[in-house]
Amino acid sequence: MKKSEEQIQKDLLRPLFEASAGYWFAVAAAASLVLAGAGAMFYGFYNGIGVWGLNSPVFWAFDITNFVFWIGISHAGTLISAILRLANAAWRRPVTRCAEAITVFALSIGAIIPISHVGRPWLAFWMFPYPNERGLWPNFRSPLAWDFFAIATYLIGSISFLLLPMIPDFALIRDSTTGFRKKFYGLLSLGWQGTPRQWHRLETAMHVMAIVIIPVAVSVHTIVSWDFAMTPVPMWRSTIFGPYFVCGAIFSGIAALILAMALLRKFLRLEEYLQPMHFSNLGKLLLTFSLLWFYFTFAERLTTWYANEESEMNVFWSGVRGEFAPLFWAMVTLNFLIPVPILAIKRLRTITGTVVASICVVGGMWLERFLIVVPSLSRKYLPYAWGSYRPTWVEMILMASGFGLMALLYLVFSKIVPMIAIWELKVGMQEAHTGGAGEPAMACQASGKSVIGGASS
Amino acid sequence: MPHHWAMVVDVDRCTGCEACVVACHAENNLPTVGEDQAARGRAMHWIRVERYWEGEYPEAKLRFQPVMCQQCEAAPCEPVCPTYASYHTPDGLNAQVYNRCIGTRFCANACPYDVRFFNYFNPVWQKPLHLQLNPDVSVRSVGVMEKCTFCIQRIHAGEEKAKAEKRDLQDGEIKPACVQSCSPMALVFGDRDDPNSEVSRLSRSKRGVKLLGELGTQPNASYLQAND
Amino acid sequence: MKAIYALFPDPGSAQDAFDALRGSSSTTGIDAAKIVVVSSEPFEGYDFSVEDAGKSYMFPLAALGGIAGGGFGYWLASFTQQSYPLNTGGMPIVTSWTNGIIIYELTMLGAILTTLATLLVTAGLPNFKRQLSDPEIWTGKILVGVTDPPEGARAALEEKFRQAGALAVKDFSSTS
Repeated sequence: MKKSEEQIQKDLLRPLFEASAGYWFAVAAAASLVLAGAGAMFYGFYNGIGVWGLNSPVFWAFDITNFVFWIGISHAGTLISAILRLANAAWRRPVTRCAEAITVFALSIGAIIPISHVGRPWLAFWMFPYPNERGLWPNFRSPLAWDFFAIATYLIGSISFLLLPMIPDFALIRDSTTGFRKKFYGLLSLGWQGTPRQWHRLETAMHVMAIVIIPVAVSVHTIVSWDFAMTPVPMWRSTIFGPYFVCGAIFSGIAALILAMALLRKFLRLEEYLQPMHFSNLGKLLLTFSLLWFYFTFAERLTTWYANEESEMNVFWSGVRGEFAPLFWAMVTLNFLIPVPILAIKRLRTITGTVVASICVVGGMWLERFLIVVPSLSRKYLPYAWGSYRPTWVEMILMASGFGLMALLYLVFSKIVPMIAIWELKVGMQEAHTGGAGEPAMACQASGKSVIGGASS
Repeated sequence: MPHHWAMVVDVDRCTGCEACVVACHAENNLPTVGEDQAARGRAMHWIRVERYWEGEYPEAKLRFQPVMCQQCEAAPCEPVCPTYASYHTPDGLNAQVYNRCIGTRFCANACPYDVRFFNYFNPVWQKPLHLQLNPDVSVRSVGVMEKCTFCIQRIHAGEEKAKAEKRDLQDGEIKPACVQSCSPMALVFGDRDDPNSEVSRLSRSKRGVKLLGELGTQPNASYLQAND
Repeated sequence: MKAIYALFPDPGSAQDAFDALRGSSSTTGIDAAKIVVVSSEPFEGYDFSVEDAGKSYMFPLAALGGIAGGGFGYWLASFTQQSYPLNTGGMPIVTSWTNGIIIYELTMLGAILTTLATLLVTAGLPNFKRQLSDPEIWTGKILVGVTDPPEGARAALEEKFRQAGALAVKDFSSTS
């Protein structure tokens, strides 16, 4: 199974130069979903948010559910790239770029929502601190202002985290193509040469970024959770929300990553690079987070039930055996009851198994966000003011278009950039030759010539 | 001396006639959203009369509870607005600045009394109802939050009149629309910092209770009800 | 800029060539600083890598950038709020807990942006001038070369390359 470097390059660069009919069909489908979503969004801008299903007292429903969902999905890249990079786990190499791409795209989709869900989106820029003569200044005590700073920082950080390791691969493509492509990739590669100095600086920068981006990611979803926890709404005012949301985010992120990898493996014919071992390892991580998610959910609900506080119990029972019971139990099934056996039993933790578990988790985590937002809002303190919620077709289209936009961005990305970082894969092979990551230089120098000289062709 | 506006609601006197609701609609240019939108839960009543049944027939008791913005001293809606559209005035009111509101609806979620309302559509008054609009009060556009203001336009008008006439405000001179139209006089409004005003006298009543007081919102409205 | 370079099949032979070139500066008259190594992947364990890379100040600079970002966050959340005529009816304007969140995020942003800037500056990017490179490096070969070699040293250099195990010796000119 040892592949030569030329073969690796050919395999990983092939998608950039070929596109099947199936690809164009997928792009057309995704693009039409995106267009439908844009249409629905402008329909909402023109007529008012009333075209959604929101009412009094349920002022947030699908819009914020989707926002938290996409920001949650965006935690995939951080975990895989940053933590595995710092832990020096060699198996991460083919997986990092897919993960980082998911982060950037999911975060971008999530970041659109706070701007488009407000009542007057054309004035959303008022949340940005700019000098003005209107006496306007953002309220830094508002969790929405924190959201702005946190998401902006995370977006800039993840875009850098994605773009930096792409530079050497762009240089590779620049030197392998001609004409327009050569100019385009020449520009993107910033004139990368490949001296040891440049490599060293790049790897150090990645190291620094990996260390910095982890606390940023943790803080982003904690701050998003504080959109809820900083209000006196029953079952929202809970200190567990910070860690609960971060755990849920990483959980849904790993599931999204597994799904993306499975699709790439199939459609870009990367069977030799994304191996069952990678899916099995990610499956183990998914299992860990499923158990952790269950722990947090159980702890939150146990403390609520034990306190038996009247307004909280109204919300609690509406979830467990009331109006929202079908959704609640579906969530528990999808997030825990189905994935855990699949992922815990080694024989079932195959590519198909992990994909099935991941689909369940993505659905279950969307339900979890919905069940955090809507039941609490529909049953606050004064029973006369209780309400209910039903989504309209506009919100359904907007939700579907979010998935369409994700697919479209990913499809376009896979045609411009090799989905597996070629140089990182080569370093991995190099480390495998010299006996594993972190082997000291002296051992290489002594035996390097014979080991590597023999292996390369 | 700055005023500190407060309201007292005598629940035992309220007959549930809802004249206050109608008066508020008329005074503050509230939109009537229509049957369809009201069925979806989007009715906008800055003051609403809640009806609670207690017990079973023939011992059933009906209690009416008018609920409007409590103008909380520690309002949960104020810290969460990203554009400071919801802020606290020095005379104890929670003010909503329509021009600053971009409609995130965070304040409405944070309000435990559910007294904040959102303009889901542009309000429309069928002719000739547009002639009935109050020129002292703005008409809010789509995407803006609104709520009871204790008829701040009447407060300002009263204060300016007293200043022009170079005298102090009398107790009972300023009446929000709901207070003015309440026939059993269940609603009382005034300056609670004035020890002689009816509001401060009634606030000290033994029957006085704060709605959802345990949440720590420090509302400026008190509810009087006999515990029987 | 002219250069003479050779392609090596593995880092071991590239290292031999590098050592040979460095050791021979007295005989061939080349400047050790003009020896260039180009590869398609990093070879961290090798001496030629360490020599060329030198010391990096990225960590301390990122820390400094973080402090700068934090300072900016403090100014933004604390001073600007006090300078604006904001009316909060008695509620505090400058609150440490919430300003702390803004300060934290901007600290991280400062560290990220400083790292990016340091990388671009120290790696010499962007650099769109024609540089010493060869498409062969992308197949795994390592390029070791000398820029602007002194006249007459060419034969000696070529000899040293071949001794170390070069697959090919070529000339490069940035003007061609």
